[in-house]
Amino acid sequence: MRTAISLKGITKDYGSLTAVADFSLDVERESIFGLLGPNGAGKTTLIKILTTLMRPTSGDALVEGYSVLNAAKQVRRLIGVVPQANNLDRYLTARENLILHARLHGMSPKEYNPRIDELLELIGLASRQRDFPDIFSGGMQRRLVVARALLHNPRVLFLDEPTTGLDPQSRRAVWEYIQSLRSKMTIFLTTHYMEEADSLCDRIVIMDEGKALVDGSAAQLKEAVAHSHIYEIEFKGNADHYEGLLRSMPFVESLERNRDSFRVALKDEKDLKPFMEKIVGADIKRIFLKEPTLEDVFIELTGRNIRE
Amino acid sequence: MFRGAYSIWGRDMLVLRRSILSELLAVMAYPLTLYLAFGVGLKGYIADVGGIPYPVFIAPGLISMTAVNAAFDESAWSMWFHRKVQRTIEEYRVTPITVYDIVIGKIFSGFSQGAIKGVAVAVVIFFMTPFRFQFSYLLFYLAYIVLGSMIFSCLGTICGTLIDKPENIGRVQAVVIVPLIFMAGIFFPLSAYPTAILPFIKALPTTAMFEGARQALVYGVFALNYIVTLVITAAVTFALAVVTFNRKMSE
Repeated sequence: MRTAISLKGITKDYGSLTAVADFSLDVERESIFGLLGPNGAGKTTLIKILTTLMRPTSGDALVEGYSVLNAAKQVRRLIGVVPQANNLDRYLTARENLILHARLHGMSPKEYNPRIDELLELIGLASRQRDFPDIFSGGMQRRLVVARALLHNPRVLFLDEPTTGLDPQSRRAVWEYIQSLRSKMTIFLTTHYMEEADSLCDRIVIMDEGKALVDGSAAQLKEAVAHSHIYEIEFKGNADHYEGLLRSMPFVESLERNRDSFRVALKDEKDLKPFMEKIVGADIKRIFLKEPTLEDVFIELTGRNIRE
Repeated sequence: MFRGAYSIWGRDMLVLRRSILSELLAVMAYPLTLYLAFGVGLKGYIADVGGIPYPVFIAPGLISMTAVNAAFDESAWSMWFHRKVQRTIEEYRVTPITVYDIVIGKIFSGFSQGAIKGVAVAVVIFFMTPFRFQFSYLLFYLAYIVLGSMIFSCLGTICGTLIDKPENIGRVQAVVIVPLIFMAGIFFPLSAYPTAILPFIKALPTTAMFEGARQALVYGVFALNYIVTLVITAAVTFALAVVTFNRKMSE
């Protein structure tokens, strides 16, 4: 495997709290890698370490062979970063934001002007390049931040929750854009959207409480829980009563409730018969066998929902 | 070398250029009000100070005060705003420049703002009031403006780096900066202080800044002891600002 990113036993402590615990990982070049986990799992801490914004308590990480500890400047030359919050300069126009970034990367006007024209055209902001970003929508600001991160042709692009807070249309647009970068560079993204990881990533690591729980492609991870017998049941009403009933069943492995709907995981295939016998006569609106999703993988691994 | 510092300074100057008129208007209002209140209002009560007309006595200090206040304000608020609100410092830090580039760029932005605003107030005082000086004295005086702006820009950078709550920057200004400026004898001669306190007052870098500036502009005296004090203070505050920012960024 041609490695773009290599984490070697990274640990990060904040006082007595361990945000990342002995984390090791190799990411293949020109792939889209997704780090999935709930808020506080340690995803942003890992990105901050990889982008040299933060030093690990112990361990080291290499980006394109350069150590984040000993060759931080070299690392920063090779990376593009899209942070969780848009950190555009609201006192500079869209174009000036890009020019400042290019200058900080040591690019000459001859190099950066055509590249900025190309990127502004690509993100659909060419006609708004003289506007200040604070009058842009969240989606437009996000696209500008992504363009800024790509301006100097990085070899590794870090995206920290790139679509958090965006409306579905803007989210789709950002996804399409990330898809278009596939095979041009290595993309390392963090997200807590299962759908995002599912549709974009070649490889996913699910992490929680600073540790990697599972590693594989979306299909592999879902296959790992294919043995689970997950049913979605929606009742016509009286959901509180049915929740009590379902929780009392010894063969129900996990239960998730969303208003009148329940996601029920049974321990075994043979549990289906006693299960059906228990709920016969209930006001069931619908019941169906559920295809496993990454959400199910996460629940199976942690026993809780990713947004908890 | 320092390409990043130059780019960040260039960004700040571009932003200043866009709002230069409103900035100058705002920055001139305070010293001109003080000049009118003290220089004109008290003119009838204070004939002169050590043989110098009172409006002429206070003018150099008011110009210096504008410069150092502007330098402190720009550095403190800009650093705080870019660090805590806009988070552009984080964007700078993921590019191949060093933290020294960032802090030096910001210090020079504050210094430039101070120098520009001080000169603007000087021009207005010169044209709107009877205050006159010999142009040959100007070079000496500029040395004080430059060093004073640099010192206060470094102090502002330290505040903007360390202070997270904006109201605390205002408190530092009220409790530390304003007393340091007003105790330095802008509006009264140092001889007004009791003899026991005078050595402490004379040791203040702000005294070197304001008293030295007055001696330079009014009498054409280049007080070497004051300049030495200011050069040392500038070097120390510059080193402190750089170290403080570097430490904060590696937290």
